[in-house]
Amino acid sequence: MTGNARRRSTGRALALCLLAWLVPTAGHFALRRRGRAAIFAVLLLVAVVVGIHLDGELHRVVPGQPLTMLFTLGAMGLGAPYFVLRHGLGYVGVPEAAGFEYGTVFLLSAGLMNLLLVLDVWDIATGVKD
Amino acid sequence: MSHFLLMTLYAALLGVFFATLWKRERRAQLVLFAKIFGSLVGGAILLGWLMYFFPSGPPKPFP
Repeated sequence: MTGNARRRSTGRALALCLLAWLVPTAGHFALRRRGRAAIFAVLLLVAVVVGIHLDGELHRVVPGQPLTMLFTLGAMGLGAPYFVLRHGLGYVGVPEAAGFEYGTVFLLSAGLMNLLLVLDVWDIATGVKD
Repeated sequence: MSHFLLMTLYAALLGVFFATLWKRERRAQLVLFAKIFGSLVGGAILLGWLMYFFPSGPPKPFP
């Protein structure tokens, strides 16, 4: 592969990763892995809906608590839905709710799963995986 | 929803996710799903039974 072709390929992979982060499972759809993309979309949707139904926390950075930065990065892995929920709909969660802890885990897991999907898109786009 | 149902749902979600992400053949996917799901649910039940032998008891009074 020539230098230009390699740069184009890397640029395309980066663009797909950005798309995959912003719109969960869109990267797999763009790479024509539609079956897997549909399964991942259902899984992420279920995790987010259950998390919100249980009033779980959508993490944000709390001054003086450095661990919240890691949690927030994980939750932000959800991409655009995180910002829509957090800033568009003003969702924060209800700490007094009975399912708060479980809901928080579901929401955080959805973000982390999408980050793993971004890495998978990178592997597929660069030819490491099929 | 009960704690057990939520735990089972969470284990199923993770099992399907990693089986789909890491394996391509149907049989390998089923095996990995069974391992992840069984480890999470079975491990939680086992831990719950082990905790039976270490009851927390009543809270200690303030000194």
